[in-house]
Amino acid sequence: MTFLGNAQRWRRHALLAASLLAAGGYMPNGLAALVHAAQPAIKTVANFDAGTWKQLLAKGPRPAAYVFTNSFCATCPEVFDLLSQAVGGSGQAVGHDVELAAILMDLRGDHALAHAHHYTGVTRIYAFDGFEPAIRQAIDPKWRNITPYVVLVDRAGRQQRVTGQPTPGQLKVWLR
Amino acid sequence: MKTAMQSTARRLLRLAVLACGLASLGAQAHEGHGGPPPAAPAASAPGGASAKPARKPRTQFAIGTALAPDGSLWVVGLDADNHLFVQSSPSTRPLRWTAPRVLDTQGDAISADGENRPKLAFGPRGYAVISYTQPGAKPYTGMIRMLRSTDGGQHFSAPVTVHTDRQEITHRFESIAFDAQGTLHTLWLDKRDLEAAPRNANGKRDYRGAAVYRNTSLDGGATFGPDTKLADHSCECCRIALAQGPDGALRALWRHVFEPNVRDHGFARLDDGQGPATVVRATEDDWHIDACPHHGPGLAVAADGGYHAVWFGIRQEGGQSVPGVRYGRLQADGRPQPASVRRLPDERAEHADVAAMGPRVAVVWRSTDGMATTLKAWLSSDGGQHFHTRTLAKAQGDNDHPRLVQQGERLVAVWRTEQEVQVHDIPW
Repeated sequence: MTFLGNAQRWRRHALLAASLLAAGGYMPNGLAALVHAAQPAIKTVANFDAGTWKQLLAKGPRPAAYVFTNSFCATCPEVFDLLSQAVGGSGQAVGHDVELAAILMDLRGDHALAHAHHYTGVTRIYAFDGFEPAIRQAIDPKWRNITPYVVLVDRAGRQQRVTGQPTPGQLKVWLR
Repeated sequence: MKTAMQSTARRLLRLAVLACGLASLGAQAHEGHGGPPPAAPAASAPGGASAKPARKPRTQFAIGTALAPDGSLWVVGLDADNHLFVQSSPSTRPLRWTAPRVLDTQGDAISADGENRPKLAFGPRGYAVISYTQPGAKPYTGMIRMLRSTDGGQHFSAPVTVHTDRQEITHRFESIAFDAQGTLHTLWLDKRDLEAAPRNANGKRDYRGAAVYRNTSLDGGATFGPDTKLADHSCECCRIALAQGPDGALRALWRHVFEPNVRDHGFARLDDGQGPATVVRATEDDWHIDACPHHGPGLAVAADGGYHAVWFGIRQEGGQSVPGVRYGRLQADGRPQPASVRRLPDERAEHADVAAMGPRVAVVWRSTDGMATTLKAWLSSDGGQHFHTRTLAKAQGDNDHPRLVQQGERLVAVWRTEQEVQVHDIPW
């Protein structure tokens, strides 16, 4: 994805980045690059196995968005753009107030890190560790490997599950 | 139910495969995404989630398979060291595999996972070709590469890039086949039109999905004709199915993005002429979604006219959105026969393939319950009017999508697991 070749998109992201900076929020990856901020890129990837999901739902940060994706998913970066904008629009900061996690289903380790760095606003990176269909079924037995598969967890732990892009209404419910 | 001979054959096959070093249980391969990225420190995760150090890239299991003119079965894939290998099993000794032969790919990174796998095809005059996607350093980019042989696969050339366009953009998910005239056809998903499209008011490129491009070679991959566009607006991440029609020309079936965001399937005849083909809508799930299904179709010619097709989609049934892998008959021009459409009898079915021999039709797929994966077959002896289900195998751990490969009266399902490459004669 090219940011600098797109004036409108760059302006949109720069405004969002500026608002996040003003709020003192975390500025990872793509947004950091846009505003030339000296923010460190994410340097770690956590393994995500069949038991991870249950633990995250029980004890993970809230609110949070978990975007399940893979290296082939060309429709996934837009979801990260959308989520980052929604968080910024709500007056909150990605990373400071809201977790935005990318879960890579087909890459591990360094390759997962390298790929996920083009996701706007991502605050944490996981990578599937095990047989992909088995982990996927632990998350949702009816999920058929369509990505992006997005789970929005609000402050109270309530979940919304979306295949594709969340609607404005879903984002509003998530961040209220 | 397996016969004792089949069980013995499987054991022998397993031993042969293991002896040849094909098995890669627990092995770690290097996955191709440009040069090696820097080492990562130990991971951390909130909520008490697993925070073990990050693993090496996972093994890529996806293989291509084909039957050679002499009846031997060939497979091509990546070994545990991420090297491209070929291996064959002679028709006279079907349970004995040759030692895996690593091919020189000049250090190419290679995609061999899920819908994107190396392919192998045999043509006339001793031609044999192997294709794969070489992923680029930038996300979603890649080049289609090909090795060729003029002695039936005994020796292969160094890889070359198949397409004329060399932009660092998407050229991925290739498919290859020879038509009845011996012309080699290569098709792939290509984003040159997306990259060239103007941006709309929202800053997005004003273009749906990707495009299907193709070229042909009259000399078994030594030279290629120009890149030509088969169709605008394909889905970005699903394999392309090819089948040879009764007239000897190839037909393609791929997931398309019909307006505004309907991910059904397009069908086209690969004519000799240049320029976009007439795209026929072959499925009518009317699945509206802005997402990647990662689930391409299968296609086989029907003896009594038209085609057999399998695909994944979500359609409205009884007022509900019902996901599933479906089978249906297509007319000779690719239009669907709606009354023939039915869902496979397995709600966990995924990545099905289809083949036909006269009135016999075979559909194979894998089904995972979270613990084990089952290789299943759905078999018909009346051209797809009635089917019965057979279980061919079960496996633990990671595994590839099953493939059907056919030559004359021989039809086998080939399935790579962590332990072995299984070969199952279809139990009609």
